[in-house]
Amino acid sequence: MNPVNKIFLKLVLLPTAVYKSMGVNMDQLRSILVTKLIMDDRRPNTIQQTRTRNKGKQVSMATLGTMLMSGLIGLVYLFAFSIGSNMVTSLTIYFSMFFFMLSATLISDFTSVLIDVRDTFIILPKPVNDRTLLISRLLHILIHVSKIVLPMSLAGIVYLVMNVNIAAALSFILMVLFTTIFAILFINAVYIGILKVTTPQKFQSVISYIQIVFAIVIYASYQVFPRMINRFGLGSLDLSLQKGILFYPLYWIACTWKFLYSFHVSSREAIGTALGLCLPFISIYLVVKYLAPFFNNKLALLSSGSGTSATARPVNSSKHRFDYPLLLSKLFTSSPSEKMGFLFSWKMTSRSRDFKLKVYPSIGYLAVYVVIMFMNTKSMDLQELREESIKSRILVISALYFTSFILTMAISQIVYSEKYKASWMYYIPPVDKPGAIILGGAKAAILKFYIPIVFFITVAGLVLIGPGVLPNILLGLFNELLIATLLVYVGNKLFPFSMHQNTNIKSGSLLRNLFVLAVSGVIALFHFFIYTIMPVVIIGAVLSIIATWLIMQSIRNIQWKAVKSSYSED
Amino acid sequence: MEPVISIRNLFKNFGNKQVLKDINLEVYSGQVIGYIGPNGAGKSTTVKILCGLLTDYEGEVKVKGFDVKKDTLEVKKIIGYVPEMAELYDVLTPKEFLSFMGALYGINEQVCSERIQKILSAFSLADNIDQRMDSFSKGMKQKVLIASGLLHNPDVIILDEPLSGLDANSVIIIKEMISRLARDGKTIFYCSHMMDVVEKVSDRIVLIDEGRIIANGSFEELKVQQGNKSLEQIFANLTSKDSLASTADELIKALEN
Repeated sequence: MNPVNKIFLKLVLLPTAVYKSMGVNMDQLRSILVTKLIMDDRRPNTIQQTRTRNKGKQVSMATLGTMLMSGLIGLVYLFAFSIGSNMVTSLTIYFSMFFFMLSATLISDFTSVLIDVRDTFIILPKPVNDRTLLISRLLHILIHVSKIVLPMSLAGIVYLVMNVNIAAALSFILMVLFTTIFAILFINAVYIGILKVTTPQKFQSVISYIQIVFAIVIYASYQVFPRMINRFGLGSLDLSLQKGILFYPLYWIACTWKFLYSFHVSSREAIGTALGLCLPFISIYLVVKYLAPFFNNKLALLSSGSGTSATARPVNSSKHRFDYPLLLSKLFTSSPSEKMGFLFSWKMTSRSRDFKLKVYPSIGYLAVYVVIMFMNTKSMDLQELREESIKSRILVISALYFTSFILTMAISQIVYSEKYKASWMYYIPPVDKPGAIILGGAKAAILKFYIPIVFFITVAGLVLIGPGVLPNILLGLFNELLIATLLVYVGNKLFPFSMHQNTNIKSGSLLRNLFVLAVSGVIALFHFFIYTIMPVVIIGAVLSIIATWLIMQSIRNIQWKAVKSSYSED
Repeated sequence: MEPVISIRNLFKNFGNKQVLKDINLEVYSGQVIGYIGPNGAGKSTTVKILCGLLTDYEGEVKVKGFDVKKDTLEVKKIIGYVPEMAELYDVLTPKEFLSFMGALYGINEQVCSERIQKILSAFSLADNIDQRMDSFSKGMKQKVLIASGLLHNPDVIILDEPLSGLDANSVIIIKEMISRLARDGKTIFYCSHMMDVVEKVSDRIVLIDEGRIIANGSFEELKVQQGNKSLEQIFANLTSKDSLASTADELIKALEN
């Protein structure tokens, strides 16, 4: 156990007498907490989850990583103090960010902290009384939340001590507590909302969608906020003057801060203060009275893993519904094993949670990026676009080549799965050319994650610029396909969903990826220069198709030897 | 008669460790071989070699005359393999998973989908055919696994602990199925730790320990050699160096204060 956990453990176990009087078995309580904290230390945190881990290292000391991350995020909040003409406005923004990030972090962590399914098998059969179990859970949650909240608020505290005074900082610490309580109420409400609309079985996957949305919103806010400040000059903003601000709970908290620190508030701020002071008590009341019991009921369902066949509904009654992946597989694949690789990858990419967590956020980032790009090019008029000016060329080229980011992401992630052990199924049947399965997977990734975007770009291009843009779009499309297939061909020759995420990414493969990146940069540059020379564009597109086709043939012909060596290298 | 499986002078090393030391075995059509041995004896290695999953061995392994090393694909076509406690991509439905396997075996789609329907109905999984397997019990998953090994109507069926997780009725079905398949001339290679089952289903029992075959014959023959005991007792006599009773003693002593 790391020193931080030891300190936390010491602190929460200090009131031994109190626990004992409640009927808690101290030895059990200690060992449960020690075990849980050790396990926390070995579980990758939210931030690490959504990223590809490129170190084969086992996760340990994850706690310290989380705390460091929280501290850094806390630093980012400081920029709230540069907004607004008064502290109430700044702090409203500060607490909004604090609340949002805290909820985002806790919403995914809480499932593993609150409901450890293994408790049912490990702790419940042992002679541990309810009080001990309850206290151990509460203390565990307390430690868990503290580990995020303390470092996150550190920067703010230091700022207030330095720039205002200690009283301001003390009042601020109390408000951090209020915000945390409010965040917990919010998370509970979200959980219950999810459980109301879906089955406990689907809970985890809905949570992962929420994580994806959070990741995208955070990315978007970091992109949009600074721009908004530049545009609207938020330095003079006073939220207290805004209509409807009294309906915003985080404004209440900022008002309460001002009241506690200076005892001097405007009438509107006074209402905010009154509401703010009630907020934590109402939150606790709601959680304890309504949410927790409801939650526990549902959680019991969740952890007992019940409702095996009763609640599970058929995925798709393929007889009734039009099966378009099947149609696509018929159109775009040639052999049974290629078709199998296609359909398998198509379905797994829609259903595998870890794949979605890694790839779907990048789709969101891209959408944000596109929106921002449009915001920036508002000044450009249609006429300019049609004239194929440098600006419009850059726009089209970057639209075509940047969007391929999703494709590269999907293609490099498609080989990973938590269920990698199930990949035995590729080895048992008499598969002559394993390359066909790999090609099928790559085709699925292309059709699912790139073609729709190209379609969108084409429509946008036709509407905004006109049919003249088509050859260039085609050239871009085929170039991207060339790059994507090249990535598969020079990369590790692995079956879809057959590799553990933690496996080392070798330096060799990093080099290969860099090579592919360099190639795509060169191709994009080349495309930029020939953009206006139509015959060259058309010839380029034809050459590109031929090259893609050739590489696809080569992928199809990948032999067992190459595949097996890709796995044994690690 | 030509043996269906013929293993001659089979050696296999993992690094410096020799796990198979001169295995020789011939299995004929219609036989049910009970392949038993303690943990780490080399059972799964033998099975993996037979299925063409491990090809860097020494010696000669043939299935229906095909050399496993040279004609791996032909061998894979002949063999149906039900791995032990295998993981499944459980976000798929049984129908999807089995169709994929069928496609890899090159079975005609129409035929394949009919077979899936029939096999799963026989296993009383007809209602679950379009459900994702993540909600399945261990036994249901095991049935899907068994189905995946039978789907292409193989001549040689390798079952590795096929009864794990199955309920009593399903166990009876599988046992009955094994003897029917053998009667139809299929060869069955049955690996298990459950001695009572092996004793009942096998025509011949092959006992392997530390990479060597230490007993090979029908249960009756083994009884003649080892005295009239149960297979469990014969197994213990042949494979354990220390007295098992004294090990149990040690365990009990460990609990004393």
